[in-house]
Amino acid sequence: MTAPATPAAPATPLVAGRDLPRGRRPARDRFGVLVEIWLRGHTWLVYGFLYLPIVVVVVFSFNANTRVTNWTGFSLHWYEFVLNSKEIQRNLINSLIVGFATATVSTIIGTMAALGIQRAPKWFRLPFDALTYVSLIVPEIVIALSTLVFFAVTIGKNGLISNLTGGPEIGLGYHTIVGALSVFNISLVLLLVQARLANMDRTHIEASFDLYGTPWRTFWQITFPQLLPAIVAGFLLSFTFAFDDYIITSFVHGTNQTTIPLYVFGALRKGVNPSTNAVAALMLFITLAILLIGQYVLSRQARRSGTAGPAGVAGMIVEQQGA
Amino acid sequence: MTARVSRRSSLLTGVLLLPASLWYLLLLVAPIIIVIVFSFGESGPTGGYAGGFTSANYADLAKNVDPFLTSLRLSIVGTILCVLVGLPLAYYIATRAGRRKSLFIVLLVIPFWTSFLIRTYAWLTILGPEGLAGFIGGVFGDDSWRILGTEWAVQLGLVYGYLPLMVFPLYVTLERMDRSLVEASKDLGAGRWATFRQITFPIALPGVITGSILVFIPMIGEYVIPNILGYGRVFTVGSALVLRFLEARDWPVGSAQAVVLVAIMLVSVTFYVWFINRGRRSRDVSML
Amino acid sequence: MADKDLEEILRRMSQTKVNRRGFMAGGALAGMAAFLAACGAGKASEAPASVAAGTPAVPGSAAPSEALASVAPAFSQEPTEGHLWMYNWSDYVDASNIEEYKKRYAVDDFTYDTYASNEELLTKLQAGAGGQWDVGAPTAEFTPALVQGGFIQKIDWSKVPNAKYIDKQFKGLWWDPNDEYQLPKDWGTTGIAVRTKYVKEDVSSWKKFFEVAPNYHGKIVIVDSPGDVFVAPLKALGYSVNSVDPTELGKARDLLMGLAPHVLALDSDQYQKKLQTGEAVLGLTWTGGLDELIQDPKTADTKYIIPSDGTLYWLDTWVIFASPPHPIAAHAFLNFIEEPAIQAQETVTNAYATPNDEAKKLIPQKILDDPTIFVPQAIFDSGLLESAKDVSTDKLRVDIWAEFKSKIGKA
Repeated sequence: MTAPATPAAPATPLVAGRDLPRGRRPARDRFGVLVEIWLRGHTWLVYGFLYLPIVVVVVFSFNANTRVTNWTGFSLHWYEFVLNSKEIQRNLINSLIVGFATATVSTIIGTMAALGIQRAPKWFRLPFDALTYVSLIVPEIVIALSTLVFFAVTIGKNGLISNLTGGPEIGLGYHTIVGALSVFNISLVLLLVQARLANMDRTHIEASFDLYGTPWRTFWQITFPQLLPAIVAGFLLSFTFAFDDYIITSFVHGTNQTTIPLYVFGALRKGVNPSTNAVAALMLFITLAILLIGQYVLSRQARRSGTAGPAGVAGMIVEQQGA
Repeated sequence: MTARVSRRSSLLTGVLLLPASLWYLLLLVAPIIIVIVFSFGESGPTGGYAGGFTSANYADLAKNVDPFLTSLRLSIVGTILCVLVGLPLAYYIATRAGRRKSLFIVLLVIPFWTSFLIRTYAWLTILGPEGLAGFIGGVFGDDSWRILGTEWAVQLGLVYGYLPLMVFPLYVTLERMDRSLVEASKDLGAGRWATFRQITFPIALPGVITGSILVFIPMIGEYVIPNILGYGRVFTVGSALVLRFLEARDWPVGSAQAVVLVAIMLVSVTFYVWFINRGRRSRDVSML
Repeated sequence: MADKDLEEILRRMSQTKVNRRGFMAGGALAGMAAFLAACGAGKASEAPASVAAGTPAVPGSAAPSEALASVAPAFSQEPTEGHLWMYNWSDYVDASNIEEYKKRYAVDDFTYDTYASNEELLTKLQAGAGGQWDVGAPTAEFTPALVQGGFIQKIDWSKVPNAKYIDKQFKGLWWDPNDEYQLPKDWGTTGIAVRTKYVKEDVSSWKKFFEVAPNYHGKIVIVDSPGDVFVAPLKALGYSVNSVDPTELGKARDLLMGLAPHVLALDSDQYQKKLQTGEAVLGLTWTGGLDELIQDPKTADTKYIIPSDGTLYWLDTWVIFASPPHPIAAHAFLNFIEEPAIQAQETVTNAYATPNDEAKKLIPQKILDDPTIFVPQAIFDSGLLESAKDVSTDKLRVDIWAEFKSKIGKA
């Protein structure tokens, strides 16, 4: 590809954007056109790739047939079956409990920590930050088995607590699931809120103090609304991770706490099954609904308080990745 | 007055940080310490931990290095694939999507947000005897062609699951790139490839590194994807850990494997942090 | 009715954590339902009726309801707590029996949590999951470990009079010499499954199994259970299935590593399906689900072989977990499940042999005669069957198992 003929370089150095002609491309840049086509095609392919499984699950969950891929007509049969199943109802409730409990705990604790960490002295901040990153890096399976071992040693049958109090063991249960899941999620919320705090407009706060506002009121009327997008994003993200979690839940759950992911994983061992598709589609709908609600809430919030949050929840996540 | 205020202020700080600290200490630090202690111990007659101090478990690992190799292989290839697939995508969104950028991003977040497990599960249908495998069998008459249960299916699942994590930082980096630099380069006669190599890629590099770390780390520890798409035949570190802890109740050896896994990750992250900080000092374009 | 059965089957089959037995029971349940539908049996919820309707001539059985009445609990049953929490292999109790139990003992909260292996059960109990379940059915050789950990309690036999029907052969065995902690549930073997249509050799022993394996590269399915898999090489070499001797294990390891590349998958749940489609033609499996294949004309060439160089027989046992939340209901359940008619239904559904002598009288002759389910006494006496010890934590075994797993299907 040949370079276009350019005018001889002037004596003073050229500055891009001022001296150089903008957007001028050689007339016959066929290669360039190919590249453009390739870029666009690639993008569409990738999006297709990303959405294909979702579409497959949803479409076939409406299949009237019992064979997964033989399409014989639209039907809500499997949804009926699934929603009427007592077992699935119970699993769904368990999943919702785990999701909401984890999200609530993580959001409150994570937000508090984000507010506190900026006031903390360096000797504390360093190890604390390190722990935050460790909790995000350590693979779920290691967290799962290490917390299981921890529970065994402390609240298990021959564990510390039992021996100290001489009473029965506390054992596994909702508390262990929520406890274990919250570790990662607290860090998540922490990072999101921290990022927002860092990017926040301080002038409002200063103005508030100048106007003799108390720290308490300043916080609630100025800071908190600006943090709300991050807090909400954190809550929703935590909920989704907890709701969708398999590994940690499967390691540390007790009686009667089978969740939907556990159910699906178990069903998978028996091969793909149309009713599992309906359960899967349900899960997709629920998590998608959460995301959309979050988007809506955040964009309304953004409009109201005038804070610019790009693309709502998505923006939060992207911002966080880049930060 | 200031002393009283600052003491109250410290109290407030303490209260704010207490729950998180407790959580980390009890449910992160303590478990990991216990695992480290166990990794030097011996297993009891019916499994579990029975005290003792020995480095035999780590020595054992040399014999059981296969799962680590498999996991590393899958993760490295997976990361590279994510870069290859993700970079053009991020570039397109950042530079060509114009006003619809937000829409593209949201469309990227949605799959990432919705259930991970379910999306992996969906590939069973797509790749299975009723999907791709059946299709290929019909077209080529090869009835026994399978992708499920092979490393390729797992590789696909890994890339699929973590691609958005690669695209996000890439997008952020590229989006902040000063476009006029590219134009200047082109107008000064540089070809596309040269422009890419000397302008675009170096600017995108921090994003590539960040994305790689965000993707590489979780991939090594993955258990669900190899188990579902690999039919249990693809034996990764995750599978090995589950075997040791749940099946064999060999907590000491399992703990040693877990410690090694975490060590690998810490080393990777340390390298990442070092690289990024090094970059920060010497570059004045683009940020991360 | 068949429709409801299908739904019931699908529901059961989608339960979490299936394992070998669960899968087989599920398959058997499907076969049973189809069988019932075909015979136009009436209310499937009445166990005795369905057994009678399904098979015209049941030797030695009076009218089912009479049989039921004659073994109704002679002792006075206290009212139960109304709940029963079971922790078991998946799909291991006949659904209609569960309904019957719930009705009879006024239990409307019957939960069924599942584990996929004895080791998982132990791990969960060790981690403090005790005090949350009432009954379960681990495999016999784990009884000592469970007792040692204090995870199961002694059974109050005065509340389980039907235990008297258990065959003496299963009493006083090494895992529970005084019969205090467990009640035998069912038993079976581990053996060789063959699609004789595709496998021309006569694979009558483990030794043969290893020899012909390379001829069926990529078409061999093996259950995902170390205790069972080790049986093959150890017996082929003439050692005990419970060997922990390093030399013996070393030789076994070599055999296993030679087998690994030819294995299609380790599968405790779907091996039947793989054999049915011909994806696998040779297997190291249990008997569950194979019955159905043998009865289907398309796959009637399937055979289950008890190897001539010996194999393992296993026994699953009912236990009551320590500090059960509902002890009365727990004991009531054990008593209930050993009622001959109920137990007979279990056998028909699960396709595993029952240790309950009275129940045997109510089981269709066809099943009683099936040598794969009810292994003939002659084979027992010949010493061909070894019972397992819990050697799952032996270091060398675990290492070999991990190595085997990582080499499956690799060239």
